[in-house]
Amino acid sequence: MAEPGATQTLGSLASDLASTSLAMARRFAAGATLWCWSPEHPEHAQHVAVEFVHPVIVGKRALPAVAIATPGDGGADQLRPLVASGDVVLVGGGGAAAAGVSDVLRRAPAWGATTVWMGAGGRPPAGAADHVLWLADETELAVHDGRLVLLYHLLWELTHVCFEHPGLLGADGACEEATTCITCSDEGRLAEVLAPASDGATVRTAAGIEDIDTTMVGDVHRGDLLLVHAGTAITLVEGGP
Amino acid sequence: MTDFLYPFIEGDERDGPSLLADLSRSAEAKAGESMQLRAATRTDASADLAAAVEAMAERFARGGRLFTFGNGGSATDAAGVAALFVSPPTGRVLPARSLAADEAVLTALGNDVGFDLVFARQLIAAARPGDMALALSTSGNSENLLIALAEARRRGVLAVGSAGYDGGRMAASGDLDHCIVVRSDSVHRIQETQAAVMVDLWRGVQQALDGPELGVT
Repeated sequence: MAEPGATQTLGSLASDLASTSLAMARRFAAGATLWCWSPEHPEHAQHVAVEFVHPVIVGKRALPAVAIATPGDGGADQLRPLVASGDVVLVGGGGAAAAGVSDVLRRAPAWGATTVWMGAGGRPPAGAADHVLWLADETELAVHDGRLVLLYHLLWELTHVCFEHPGLLGADGACEEATTCITCSDEGRLAEVLAPASDGATVRTAAGIEDIDTTMVGDVHRGDLLLVHAGTAITLVEGGP
Repeated sequence: MTDFLYPFIEGDERDGPSLLADLSRSAEAKAGESMQLRAATRTDASADLAAAVEAMAERFARGGRLFTFGNGGSATDAAGVAALFVSPPTGRVLPARSLAADEAVLTALGNDVGFDLVFARQLIAAARPGDMALALSTSGNSENLLIALAEARRRGVLAVGSAGYDGGRMAASGDLDHCIVVRSDSVHRIQETQAAVMVDLWRGVQQALDGPELGVT
């Protein structure tokens, strides 16, 4: 999106918003809660949540959405006990500098959450979240001048349009788009270690909590991210905090 | 808001691509409306905005502090305005804070004296002559904002407001020093334009403080 004041369009952001809205509507229809975290600009996470919880348009349904206010890098520790499988985690801001934001986005698949990353400036790498809604911004002012607010207003408006199409809300978007879905197939599901044990660990995956064998990857620690196949950890993706 | 959509067949509907195309078109149209409202507001409210910039720059130059407030999404937008002044991407750091930021204060006042007074009471406690109060509203009719702006005016605190629709009671009130009206009946488009106007206000204050008359180092 170009600078305000000029003639412009959303460009590819329009279709990004459309697919994100449909995915969120499907998750809400299945009972999801939306968790919002924007550590550098907590007001945006709160604004997103209040849009969904208390719609400005009379007659639109109130949806469960919550902003968490944790500053700095503490998001994962606050979100982990709150986020349930099937929920949506929306994070705002960041880029390479925001270690806490990327940390949440890496872990959320192990919690079973769909992720949305919204912000402005340097665009995150492809695949950093399930859905990326990103504004080009040279000025660092897009977070203040209403362009970011416009994005999440549109996200709310389009999500509610989707609710008027109940026949399209049954399928889960997470499993539609790719021919191989690592969340649902058994080939390398992401797991977060809750508690190590001898030759094994209790881990959390999108499917729930399970005990796995860790012989192939050696010692693991609380918070480690592993790829699990058929009850066995096959790769250490990333060490814990 | 959905009359642009194709007719659909309730629970039997299966045409996802058609819905996605409709959603994209809708997003484009709404973004276009938002940008048009910005441009129109910058024209219509330019005199009010310039006057507010001048008054606020003078106050900041003399050590005045900015208190921002609103309700709901406007409260978060007001917090964003305070953040822009106090930790700007460039330029001078200026004292500003949101009156909705402290849950203890907000719930204590709401519970004990009523929600209509949650902002006014904080101004009574914290503000002094030469400070500034900035209220954001879409309707222009929020009782707690109007009471706070009247209290500000009484105390020599500059009372600035922005409201949507026709400006509502804010525009009609004699208690505001400056009122910036965003003429729209869409709450979302109003808030987006208010944010843009607040950046204009901030930029104008920054430029005025760097100018020859107010220049402070």
